[in-house]
Amino acid sequence: MSILSERSVAMIEEARRTAPSAQSVLLTALRLTQEERRHVGVEEVEFLASLLGLSNATVDGVARFYDELTQEPTGLHRVSLCRGIACHLRGGPAMIEELRRVLGVGPGQTTADGLVTFRLVECIGDCDHAPAVMLDDRFLGAASAADVRAELDRG
Amino acid sequence: MERILTQHTGYDDQRGLAAARARGAYEGLRKALTMSPQEVIEETTSSGLRGRGGAGFPTGRKWAFIHPAADQQVYLLCNADESEPGTFKDRYLMEHDPHLLIEGLCIGAYAIGAHTAYIYLRGEYASVGAVVEAALAEARAAGILGPTLLDSSYQVEIKIQLGAGAYICGEETGLIQSLEGRRAYPRVRPPFPAVHGFMQQPTVVNNVETLANLPWIILHGGDAFARIGTERSSGTKLISVCGAVNRPGVYEVEMGYPLREFLANEAGGILEGRALKALIPGGTSVPILTAEETSGLTLDFESLQGAGTMLGSGGMIVFDETTSMPDALASIAHFYAHESCGECTPCREGTGWFAWIIDRLLAGEGRSNDLALLLRIGRNIEGHTICGLGDAAVQPVRSFITKFGAEFEALLPKTPDTRPDWQRHGHGPRTARHESPVEEAARSEAVSGPPTARL
Repeated sequence: MSILSERSVAMIEEARRTAPSAQSVLLTALRLTQEERRHVGVEEVEFLASLLGLSNATVDGVARFYDELTQEPTGLHRVSLCRGIACHLRGGPAMIEELRRVLGVGPGQTTADGLVTFRLVECIGDCDHAPAVMLDDRFLGAASAADVRAELDRG
Repeated sequence: MERILTQHTGYDDQRGLAAARARGAYEGLRKALTMSPQEVIEETTSSGLRGRGGAGFPTGRKWAFIHPAADQQVYLLCNADESEPGTFKDRYLMEHDPHLLIEGLCIGAYAIGAHTAYIYLRGEYASVGAVVEAALAEARAAGILGPTLLDSSYQVEIKIQLGAGAYICGEETGLIQSLEGRRAYPRVRPPFPAVHGFMQQPTVVNNVETLANLPWIILHGGDAFARIGTERSSGTKLISVCGAVNRPGVYEVEMGYPLREFLANEAGGILEGRALKALIPGGTSVPILTAEETSGLTLDFESLQGAGTMLGSGGMIVFDETTSMPDALASIAHFYAHESCGECTPCREGTGWFAWIIDRLLAGEGRSNDLALLLRIGRNIEGHTICGLGDAAVQPVRSFITKFGAEFEALLPKTPDTRPDWQRHGHGPRTARHESPVEEAARSEAVSGPPTARL
């Protein structure tokens, strides 16, 4: 039984048709899985391995290498605060505390309702808006903790 | 100054194909297609263009290494993994003028005989990928990309691959590994990618900014490009400046532009009128300069190399007089400890020790030989790893400690430590028994959620 949506499976199979090898589709497949299932656990690994004809160990080994792929489910939304040097110099440490206050959880934690995961990430290339924050895949620019909260509440 | 890369980035509609073409997009490609691939390579070689990703290798020479056998397929990979701390210039180019990159990719692909090109974008740039993907779709629909490149008989297809969060994917063989769906463990060279690259085929990896220079070079000629900038650094450079300046952002400057002038003019001076304390000119992987050392320097490969550092990626990080250097170094050291891929022991272990020791110094738990120990660990990493990440991690540690020694010495214990070596060094960062206070705090806090987060 498929644990991924038909759409995701179709996207993986379409990518497979033009890819030079089955494994070269793996990163794309893992990204889609993370997006849909919010983690790449045992079930997800087994599913992708059989879909692409790879061993479980190969899929799991690759998945564990990349930071955006997680073994435990993340929240519905991810608030990512950059901990790079530019953000560190421009108020990053204080921003950790402010986000902790408005989100109610600390770095590495997910809110009890499963809505938000607060992460610290390495330099995300938004250094001119330090301290830089991302909401899911969106750069929030020069956002305050209150702005982040407002974005989340907007849904 | 003639702008080569940011000529059109200020227009709101530049992402659209019609507007971009009205401003001359794809004219360089049109001209390239009237030349032979060999002529395109020669034009690029005579321009003196050097790679803009950090290493500064001559682009034309890199291309000339490609000699495919009859049954081989050549690949051009665009390195858009931009993860060097303090660097955000490629993102700026792709977001504001995606067709410039696509045109550059087509010219490069034509020159080396590639029919498939990949843009490897870091996972955090998914929104940038959407901009480039939309531009690709427009170019395909208009018949620019695809089976008949701009009405020629040459075929080029460009695909985007998003990464998933790993700094090492910016290393060219790490990038290739990742594109093949593997852990991004860098490969031993030789064989070089030009011989055994993506899928064991001849491969060139070029940075975004490097490729974006090609349309101009082909349109105006290599000689015209070589007349811009300095003798050994031709053309312009995108500098992304951040940290303690009034106007952080991306600026295009002619190679050879005075660094101090750049700080005062483009960057808008130091934040709140403070004094400059130090500056990293090309991403955290290059040695830091003290304020005194920056005087008289110019922004080009040779001037910065002469000062013992590098132009690198052009990611300039500025530190003002209020910065604690040990505190800043801790942030940088944690980056490398987190991003070391773990393939080579000296880097995997050494970067962890760097972060752990600097943390314990900051926590007031330093040991009297800690600074010597940091330098020794650096010597044990440098030159002993497959890729450059290990060497890169050493540069900030060594240059911060040697140039701002007093601040680090102030953290050492006041009474001499007479214990034997093994007791003075501690048990290392991977031993749970002796976690640093910072690590301990991170661990106790990370009750749930991804194991990647750390303080």
